Amino acid sequence: MINVWENTDPRQEAENFAAVWGLGGTVLLDRTGEYAARLGIRGVPTNVLVDGRGIVRAVGGTTPDELHAAVRELLADD
Amino acid sequence: MDHHDRPEQGPACSVDLSHRVRRHCPVGRGPEAVVVDPGRRRAYVACSRSDAVVALDLDRGVAVWTAPVGREPIPVILDLPTRRLFTADARSDTVTVLDADTGSRLTQIPVGAYPAGLGHHPGLRRVYAGNPADGTVPAIAADRLVVVGTVPAELGAGSIAVDTRRDRGYSANFMAGSGTVFDADALTPLGTVAVREGPCKVVPDPAAGLLYGASSLHGTIGRVSLEDGTVLDELPVERAPVGMCVDPSGGRLYVCNRGAGTVSVLDTRAGRETHRITVGNAPGDCALDPATGTLLVSNAGSGTVSFVDRPWLPGPAQPAVHPLVGRSLPGFALPDLRGGRIRTSREWAEKKYVINFFASW
Repeated sequence: MINVWENTDPRQEAENFAAVWGLGGTVLLDRTGEYAARLGIRGVPTNVLVDGRGIVRAVGGTTPDELHAAVRELLADD
Repeated sequence: MDHHDRPEQGPACSVDLSHRVRRHCPVGRGPEAVVVDPGRRRAYVACSRSDAVVALDLDRGVAVWTAPVGREPIPVILDLPTRRLFTADARSDTVTVLDADTGSRLTQIPVGAYPAGLGHHPGLRRVYAGNPADGTVPAIAADRLVVVGTVPAELGAGSIAVDTRRDRGYSANFMAGSGTVFDADALTPLGTVAVREGPCKVVPDPAAGLLYGASSLHGTIGRVSLEDGTVLDELPVERAPVGMCVDPSGGRLYVCNRGAGTVSVLDTRAGRETHRITVGNAPGDCALDPATGTLLVSNAGSGTVSFVDRPWLPGPAQPAVHPLVGRSLPGFALPDLRGGRIRTSREWAEKKYVINFFASW
């Protein structure tokens, strides 16, 4: 997960958020929003799916059905 | 004949048949909501991460005053009879009341845990706050500025809508996944309305007899009859709709898609989305200037308010898929929340993975 556009104290805000929602995985901080801008990310939440060759396969997909379908497709593809 | 007399090439005049984003006006950090004061030609913006409300000159797009309020103001409403602004300071557990003309603070009212939404009934002289953390809706007397009662709702009660024709209020209970209906005068619960998971915004159109409910989780807008609570239908929009406003005719609904940086424009009579408007990052809410038809959108991720002229008209076609799809992911080198170590995209080479971009708000 990448935290972005936090405005004030990104580390503390992201830490609180992770604790409240039980996020145990990797959380990175894009403090300036520069990386999100490079990717053309314009909103949150946004999911970016990347395949084994480092190619972006999908951007978006935040409803449960969309995300499950996109992940299934990504995992099935070789 | 000199060049001034030469006829112009092409048509003598042209008509612009598209919307136009006229400006993105910087206002402060985390602007979550905006309300328009057409008489004074001002807009008021709640800047959640600046702990302030900012007044903008509607015509010049510049700040007139900035008023400090409590911590993390999220909604803002204007009571025209008294020319008072109300904002709910989520992290101070208060509602701050300001003089709309000067920005001076009139009072700060304790209302309960993490107030995140406000509703308004000018006729009953009431302002209602939605407290997600304790699932209650306290009511404030707009003239006396005291809490006069509290409606029990459910966990996550945030956004409040008020049907001024029927004297009923509605709270969207995000965590409970429900909607509470209450008597706006007696302050008693009347029942519930069926909503989808993750309801985060409710907006009434009393003239059309409709309540619109945004489900941020499913990317849809539900339409509910204000008369009997029947769910009429559900309209798909873009990712994570969190803010809405309806035009004075009731013919169009504007929906802020937090997850996409767009506004969906819905033709309410046809029951479908007609087009999308690209605004700033992570828009939180929107309001119309009834004098000009301009749509104002508060972009929490960009710290701006977008001014959109003729928002009812379509604009340039948007690409069907995101331009990044099919390309190599640009590499990253970002600090880890836990420990601060710089992590790079090379660590995930030859793996399949999902990056979720998120903000805490």
